Amino acid sequence: MKIGFIGLGIMGRPMALNLLRAGHQLTVWARRAESMQPLLDAGASAAASPAALAEVADVVISMVADAPDVEQVMLGEQGVASAGRPGLIAVDMSTIRPAAARAMAAHLLARGIDFLDAPVSGGEVGAIAGTLSIMVGGGVAAFETVRPAFACMGHNIVHVGDSGAGQVAKAANQIVTGVGVLTVAEALNFAARSGVDPARVREALLGGFAYSKILENHGQRMLDRNFKPGFKSWMHQKDMNIVMQSAHELGLCLPVSAATAQMYNAMVGSGLGEEDSIAILKLLERLSGVDS
Amino acid sequence: MRLGFIGLGVMGRPMALHLLRAGHDLAVWARRPASCQPLLDAGATGVGTPADVARRAEVVFTMLTAGVDVQQVTLGPDGLAAGFAAGSVLVDMSTIAPQLARTLAQELLARCTVEMLDAPVSGGAQGAIAATLAIMVGGRARVLERVRPLLEVLGRTLVHVGDHGAGQVAKACNQMLMVAAIQAVAEALHLSRAAGVAPAGVRQALAGGSAGSRVLDVMGGRMVDRDFVAGVEARLHHKDYAIVIGEAHRLGVPLPVSTQVRQQLNALMAMGWGQNDTATLLRVLEAMEGAV
Repeated sequence: MKIGFIGLGIMGRPMALNLLRAGHQLTVWARRAESMQPLLDAGASAAASPAALAEVADVVISMVADAPDVEQVMLGEQGVASAGRPGLIAVDMSTIRPAAARAMAAHLLARGIDFLDAPVSGGEVGAIAGTLSIMVGGGVAAFETVRPAFACMGHNIVHVGDSGAGQVAKAANQIVTGVGVLTVAEALNFAARSGVDPARVREALLGGFAYSKILENHGQRMLDRNFKPGFKSWMHQKDMNIVMQSAHELGLCLPVSAATAQMYNAMVGSGLGEEDSIAILKLLERLSGVDS
Repeated sequence: MRLGFIGLGVMGRPMALHLLRAGHDLAVWARRPASCQPLLDAGATGVGTPADVARRAEVVFTMLTAGVDVQQVTLGPDGLAAGFAAGSVLVDMSTIAPQLARTLAQELLARCTVEMLDAPVSGGAQGAIAATLAIMVGGRARVLERVRPLLEVLGRTLVHVGDHGAGQVAKACNQMLMVAAIQAVAEALHLSRAAGVAPAGVRQALAGGSAGSRVLDVMGGRMVDRDFVAGVEARLHHKDYAIVIGEAHRLGVPLPVSTQVRQQLNALMAMGWGQNDTATLLRVLEAMEGAV
């Protein structure tokens, strides 16, 4: 398949490399030219703009930070849409608001371009290993066309529903993981402040109903005090903001997510934004009067 | 003085009438021409576009619902910026995000050498009619001095809070305190009823002590009387909380209580009570117990 890839950061680079290794013909574009180099070294071609990339690809994939970036590369000057190739499929794997994804789909469809929202879960580790979970919203035909490409990047590939449905699933994912990391941190801090070894508590809990991947993986990293990202706090803050904005639009009461979002605000505001989201443990310790 | 006024709703209409009665020459425009009629009857001049308002006025007031409305009327096609003469002043009395107020002030200065003040108000329709509003002003002091006599026609308390956006910051704080207090009063009266004690008596007992407040008097009174006719429509407070929590996100500041209040407002909206008074937060608590 002829694939164009936009956005070669922590997630995008390994995802693009996996497409290349699987034998797809890959053209790349990035705002900073130096981020393209590792891909060019591995055999990809470079395009001068998103539009130029769309000229030579059947499927264009974007993996960028936020909705304005997606709008820029898809609809902006020299954007994917300006190439005006009907039959093209645009796939955005970034995490943006469901409403923004739906608007994007409508704009692109008006120019004959199919759009899939296909955000991922699994972090940098999953991107490198090609084991991401991919949650897709959009037309079934476009999904089936792109599925072989998805299969190079992820294992659990689910067509959730119409446009925006992938982003709804991702927002739901961020609720569970954002709240989950906070509850694991609270539990381990509770154990430590009670004078009990948090490592033993984690071990005890792993066998029971409190077992979760987050308790296992994030919990271990908390015990190791390994705050290297992983998934940076400011990105989880951004994602919780998507959740809370969507709740506002829908008139939805999400009390626990709301509280969690405020904790992420405090992390970013107090300089923990570049650390992994498990640094929420440090915030709890600070509120418990512990220097960390 | 030659003045302009845009936004002739529940708040704007009585405010514009005060300016007219104070002897000023007033040009008005509204999206729905019908809203202009009471002002035209009182001697104002109706014009075709916001730009026409700006052409006829040295000082223009806007009193609109949302930030996008203010942006549209100011910078959109046929907006104020297209008609303003250099040296004119825009006084925006709407409640919008501080950041948007700052952006608009910069744009107006750059495009047409027009100074802007953000001057949101507190006091509701009653305060607008009685000309007893509290006005919180952001912008340059010498600009405020120019329009001070006009603002004194509209309100009783006039505070220059700081530079551009500072008025909107004060207004956001005002909404946080007020609606959180409404929620607290609702919870207190809800608890007293559940405990088998008449809320009216509790409210009366509290009024004299440290928990006494204007919200306890006014909104507490409405709750006791089960009179949920607005006052200030809850949907407007719901809108204001998007500004409050948006700022918390932008600044990385935790607001744990405000975020919970917002969730109760979300639930209120979901139940279709947005046009009722915010005292309806009591009914949200009742609904949590299945009593709708």
